[in-house]
Amino acid sequence: MKSGKGNFLILSVLYSLDFEASFIRLIDKVTNGSRIEINQTGTTLYYQPGLLYGGSLEHDCSPSRGIGYYLESLLCLAPFMKHPLKIVLRGVTNDQVDPSVDVLKATALPLLKKFGIDGESLEIKINRRGMPPKGGGEIVFSCPVRKVLQPVQFTDPGKIKRIRGTAYSVRVSPQMANRMVESARGILNKFLPDIYIYTDHMKGVSSGKSPGFGMCLTAETINGTILSAELASNPQGQGEAVLPEELGQSCAKLLLEEVYRGGCVDSTNQSLALLLMTLGQRDVSKVLLGPLSPYTIEFLRHLRSFFQIMFKIETKTTEEEHTGGEKVLMTCVGIGFHNLSKTIR
Amino acid sequence: MEEKEKKKHRAKHSGPKAEKKRKRYLNDLGIGDEENARKRNPKAFTVQSAVRMARTFHRTQDLKTKKHHIPVVDRTPLEPPPVVVVVVGPPKVGKSTVIKCLIKNFTRQKLVEIRGPVTIVSGKKRRLTIIECGCDINTMIDLAKVADLVLMLIDASFGFEMETFEFLNICQVHGFPKIMGVLTHLDTFKNNKQLKKTKKKLKHRFWTEVYPGAKLFYLSGMVHGEYQKQEVHNLGRFISVMKFRPLTWQTSHPYVLADRMEELTNPEDVRINPKCDRKISLYGYLRGAHLKNKSQIHMPGVGDFTVSDVSFLPDPCALPEQQKKRSLNEKEKLFQEEVRPNHELVQSLISTHSAIDVKMASSKVSLFMDSKPLGSEDVGQEFVMPKEERQVDLKTGRVRRKAVFEDDEKENEASDEEDDQEEEDDEEAVSEDGSEGDDENDAEEESERVLLREGIAVRRAKRLKTEVAQEEAVNELPAFADSDDDLEMSSEEGETAPEDSEMEEDEEEEEEEEGDVQRTCKDESSDSEFEAPNKRAESKQYDMNSERTEVKSQISEHSPKRKAVLTTDSGNCTAEEASESEDENSSLEEGDDEGGSHEELEAEESNRNGFQHSQAKKADSVRQTKVKTVDTEDDDVENLLREKEEYEEEIDLSVDTTGALKWKEDLTQKAAEAFLRQQRSTPNLRKLVYGTAVEDEDQESEDADDELGGLFRVSRPDTASKQKANALDCSKFLVEKPQDWDLEEVMNSIRDCFVTGKWEDDKDVTLLKIIHVYRIFKKTEWLTNAHMSWVFVVAEELYGDFEDLETGVVHKGKAAAGGEQSGSEEEEEEDEETTKPEPEEEKKKKERMDKKRKLKEMFDAEYDEGDATYFDDLKEEMHKQAQLNRAEFEDQDDETRVQYEGFRPGMYVRIEIENVPCEFVMNFDPHYPIILGGLGNSEGNVGYVQLRLKKHRWYKKILKTRDPLILSLGWRRFQTIPMFYIEDHNGRHRLLKYTPQHMHCGAAFWGPITPQGTGFLAVQSVSGTTPDFRIAATGVVLDLDKSITIVKKLKLTGYPFKIFKNTCFIKGMFNSQLEVAKFEGAAIRSVSGIRGQIKKALRAPVGAFRATFEDKLLMSDIVFVRTWYPVSIPTFYNPVTSLLKPAGEKDSWSGMKTTGQLRYERGIKLKQNKDSLYKPIVREKRHFNKLHIPKALQKALPFKNKPKNLEKKGKTPKDQWRPAVIREPHEKKISALLSALSTVNNYKIKKAKVKHREQLKEYLKVKQKEDEQKFKRQKEAKKKVYRILGQREKKRQKSSLKGSSKGEKSV
Repeated sequence: MKSGKGNFLILSVLYSLDFEASFIRLIDKVTNGSRIEINQTGTTLYYQPGLLYGGSLEHDCSPSRGIGYYLESLLCLAPFMKHPLKIVLRGVTNDQVDPSVDVLKATALPLLKKFGIDGESLEIKINRRGMPPKGGGEIVFSCPVRKVLQPVQFTDPGKIKRIRGTAYSVRVSPQMANRMVESARGILNKFLPDIYIYTDHMKGVSSGKSPGFGMCLTAETINGTILSAELASNPQGQGEAVLPEELGQSCAKLLLEEVYRGGCVDSTNQSLALLLMTLGQRDVSKVLLGPLSPYTIEFLRHLRSFFQIMFKIETKTTEEEHTGGEKVLMTCVGIGFHNLSKTIR
Repeated sequence: MEEKEKKKHRAKHSGPKAEKKRKRYLNDLGIGDEENARKRNPKAFTVQSAVRMARTFHRTQDLKTKKHHIPVVDRTPLEPPPVVVVVVGPPKVGKSTVIKCLIKNFTRQKLVEIRGPVTIVSGKKRRLTIIECGCDINTMIDLAKVADLVLMLIDASFGFEMETFEFLNICQVHGFPKIMGVLTHLDTFKNNKQLKKTKKKLKHRFWTEVYPGAKLFYLSGMVHGEYQKQEVHNLGRFISVMKFRPLTWQTSHPYVLADRMEELTNPEDVRINPKCDRKISLYGYLRGAHLKNKSQIHMPGVGDFTVSDVSFLPDPCALPEQQKKRSLNEKEKLFQEEVRPNHELVQSLISTHSAIDVKMASSKVSLFMDSKPLGSEDVGQEFVMPKEERQVDLKTGRVRRKAVFEDDEKENEASDEEDDQEEEDDEEAVSEDGSEGDDENDAEEESERVLLREGIAVRRAKRLKTEVAQEEAVNELPAFADSDDDLEMSSEEGETAPEDSEMEEDEEEEEEEEGDVQRTCKDESSDSEFEAPNKRAESKQYDMNSERTEVKSQISEHSPKRKAVLTTDSGNCTAEEASESEDENSSLEEGDDEGGSHEELEAEESNRNGFQHSQAKKADSVRQTKVKTVDTEDDDVENLLREKEEYEEEIDLSVDTTGALKWKEDLTQKAAEAFLRQQRSTPNLRKLVYGTAVEDEDQESEDADDELGGLFRVSRPDTASKQKANALDCSKFLVEKPQDWDLEEVMNSIRDCFVTGKWEDDKDVTLLKIIHVYRIFKKTEWLTNAHMSWVFVVAEELYGDFEDLETGVVHKGKAAAGGEQSGSEEEEEEDEETTKPEPEEEKKKKERMDKKRKLKEMFDAEYDEGDATYFDDLKEEMHKQAQLNRAEFEDQDDETRVQYEGFRPGMYVRIEIENVPCEFVMNFDPHYPIILGGLGNSEGNVGYVQLRLKKHRWYKKILKTRDPLILSLGWRRFQTIPMFYIEDHNGRHRLLKYTPQHMHCGAAFWGPITPQGTGFLAVQSVSGTTPDFRIAATGVVLDLDKSITIVKKLKLTGYPFKIFKNTCFIKGMFNSQLEVAKFEGAAIRSVSGIRGQIKKALRAPVGAFRATFEDKLLMSDIVFVRTWYPVSIPTFYNPVTSLLKPAGEKDSWSGMKTTGQLRYERGIKLKQNKDSLYKPIVREKRHFNKLHIPKALQKALPFKNKPKNLEKKGKTPKDQWRPAVIREPHEKKISALLSALSTVNNYKIKKAKVKHREQLKEYLKVKQKEDEQKFKRQKEAKKKVYRILGQREKKRQKSSLKGSSKGEKSV
């Protein structure tokens, strides 16, 4: 198992929730020769890793977690498959818990490109949007395979030149999206004129099974750093209704928070960036991050227990006043990982 | 006479001198240069043919590109490990002599006997590890993998031997190290010409094998049993200047060529069970790549292990540079070299100890005495062991050790021991310094013991001291402010003795309790509460214990355990742990006792800081210390307490931002989030993530099986994961306390993150714009040098203007002239500039200069871009990366560096390994190299490996599928069962029974996962020697998988039982309808070649089916379907454990045997299948039925082709019968008479005929006679005539000749 997720897996099955079962099934699908044993009471899991195989696959994700939950780990694994992965994932595309597919598409893919995982086939396509609780969304994720990853020196985030975003609405009035956009622009325009937020209203089959709306915003810098923020409406029948204006505003503010945190990788993808740095060649990689999220901290510990790798962590205080909070410079030497699955001819 | 002696001068016609002369001569003539030649004869240099020109151009470009290697990042360490020089050759070729001579050449020292690797310093920047390689194929394989340079000794009097070629082939497979040939035994040639010829022949053969132009050395004669000094010197020089190409496998894997082995097993365990698994430590230089602790390694000949501990030691054979020697002039060198053995010549302790002279031996021991306290830190009581062990290692290992530790086996081995003793004595007597060696050894042993005791005493004293110090410290008031410093200090120092932890332990417990309280507040974990009392009880027990050393060891074991426990909690992100880790840190630093007590005191003090407060306040105060370091204004504890409460609120995910924040009042505090506050200082963050900074992994591993009070199990993952398990597993980083982005101050805090904000100086907008203009120029391609200079001028003006501004000169017009692009931003900036006061002029000037320089650099970069190719760019990138790699951790001390990047190559490391089979120690033989090869991440796993394989062309047999084969792949040597296959055109892998003769084929086996592209070689047996070439096959790894599809052909046959026109019912092929259903639509064929298809199963006979064919089948036909049956690969993987064999039998490892071998050994003859025998083929005569042509067809045929078989006439009917003729009597008489007459007549005629014939005969006889006579006559007549004619002709000729002569005469 190449991702820290493997460890989580062993632990979290204590609950043996449906989404975890679904995750295990997904892992089983993308690998060859894995051995998974769960005892009768469902309290222990034995997992013996197999070889990452890839290929064209389909998977129905449990609607209790977003597709992002599954996609995040696939993003870690996909570059090291035997065959390029092309997987259709069905479930909840946008929810309030997990990073949505839109955000991953906007942030994780450019991040992968930085590590040399590039090509036409690297893409996430949203065919249908599905909101919680019932889901019904569908995405296609495809990723090429690589033998080695490039080291990165990613220490200068640069200045934000444009803000883009998507305001989506399914099974509600299409006007919702426009209302969100208006309110978000109102806040962001104080900083930057170059703002464009797409409205994405899905209809019919492609709108999933539950109503909802939300938006995700990305800020792109001149150096190609992409920071993101997102917010979704409460699922149908849970919590009180949210006004789209409010949602737009708070989403814009979340983006500003993210900008305040700063760094070259947004907070959702910190762990992905660190993992890819770890799995790089035996060279020094550097990345500037915002404050480490608890998830990332735990991930770093997993990285150490899996790969015996420690990051050099330096806090960078910015001399200037107005560039947000403190940053953390993470440095490591890659472990020289090779994709052992890939066939040579 | 004198004239004869004088030789006439011969002008040189070739060589540099002649060349020079010719040039001068030509110059004198004025036609000297090539350029002139070009001028002189321009036609000769014109383009004759454009096509040819293009071709030559392409060719040169091709050649140029071919020379390029893919650029790789240069990861060679700054202080490289010694170069491994492997001296290889067949027996009796002079390997040891060469080694001895080389050592003598470099060190002026004489080694009597060589066992194992020898490391020497050969120059300012180079060290050599020289090792001899015997003819055992195991050794050859192992050493070829680690060699940097191979000295291939060849007996010139004999020529090449198989070993040489085998080794060359092994080298080729495992990356090709540098190979230098050395010809020996050249003095055996009496005839000079013969010598020359042999040299040339050998050289060319060597070249074909290695590469054309490979260096071949000649060691001509022996002087007193050594090679000639000058020749060895030359050889040494060649070795010490040689450059090495990085080999893929070596650079991507860490490895150690061990030069020393110690056993660390508890002697008690050995006593109880002499065959118990051992714990050993191995020493050597780390090579190749970075080694991480706890990584997997493979010991060729032993097996796979996990490193239980790694530590680095001071270099025992340091380069002279590191000893601050700036230059090594000759005198100095000599001197050094004479002294060198004291510290630089390291003959491995594994190998010779008593054999080398005393001086060296002593030096060595002293060396490792130094290193010992560093190396084996944790084993106070085991310290005696290795010493004895070392002695064991000297001589054939096993015997000695047993004498020491195992009473029961003593008797058995006693006699051997004696023998050995005698031998040893003999050797010593032989060696120059006699028996001193042994004495010295003993003396050292003693001294070591003394040292140990002393150490213990010192420790005791120290503990007392620390106690006092602590008492003092208790009275002192803690200083918070420098908690950070303390952190650093404690991490840097690392000098407190482990024993100090005793006192601290109590404190730790206290603290832990506090921590527990905290924790319970937070996440209600109760485990740790239980732990604390337990531990206390334990520690009390310890106090009761009377044996001091034991106490100590237990404590030292105990404290790390605790530490690990503590560290696990760090997941909670609380700050108090940081302080905890401090004391752990200081308490756990092991190592030299000389570390001053003063420092300890300091550490102690720092620890005190954390402990003085009551439990409730404790954690808060620690946090305060941190806050304080950041904003030093606030000293008020209460204030901070309040803040802390706030923070806790934040943690509770309370999202209520009541907007009651007063930004004007304490903006800094509110703006900085509580979480961020924790991360203010680096060590804190690091500790937050990784727990204690210097975490000792070995102790971590120990605590895995720790039980507290036999009831509670300390298991790390549980505590660590507690928070995680409770929390939602989500990567999103929620904003716990959003800031109010409507406020101006908050907005300002990120104002500069946008392009609309202020830019840094070096990224001045103006500058960027100028460059932009420049780029536009460049794109439009009308940029000339003049333009360039213009741009420069603009820049100059722009930046020069600032000066003017200060003096008050109007600037705006100029700026406009310079470039319209520079807009309002520029003005703003200028305004700023103008506001600056005068004294900053100097600084500004400097800034301006910087700006100019930067601008110029950027221009240069842009301008030179045109020449750079992709290759150059790539190379440049790699170079940059390499520099970064070097620079990144350069300034850090080794301890921290090792944590980040692992142990780097070039370090002298000590590697501890557990669970080593006892045979390895018992049957230890220093002559065999011990290699620790690091494995990559998943290279410890097993799976199916696919190879491309080719039988070696020199191997005499072909290889059979399912015969066990020994592969050397990666670091490993192992036996496995390969299956050979070939890939069909449609990608199917079809099983082969044997390897093809001269072709590649695929092979698949179950074995260790090894990266694709790794070369391998196969041998059928590693035991003994055979006259034939031993390497059976070579190849490369293609693919790794957990399942594999190799198929073999399976033909199912069936028989028709009912034939319609083209449809048949076929039985006997399948056994059920289901089977048929599976094969519906499959193509079938009859033996006669009629193709068909399976249609559908029939009901009646089970397994029968209906099939259609392209033609009508016969009942006698056999029908078959071709199917492919997947073959399972036997999961057999058996590492070659040759090093575990007893000494002297190490080259006799034999694993699984082939069936052929077994049959041969047991004399079992294979029962032959009768059907496989060849018999004479008897074919039955085949009868074909008559051809039947249908009537309709017959009718249509033309008459010619119509069958014309007329039917026989039947009996003529009666009506058509002719009527019988009945004669009258008269008529009867007449006819009778007539017949009588005719009979008579006939008779007469017959008689006449006979007579006539006889007459004719007679006549012919006569006639023949006449003819003969006539012929005779005619012949004679003709003769006469011809003679006359001839005579006449002759006469005529004569006359004509005469006539001409006459005519001539008349003229």
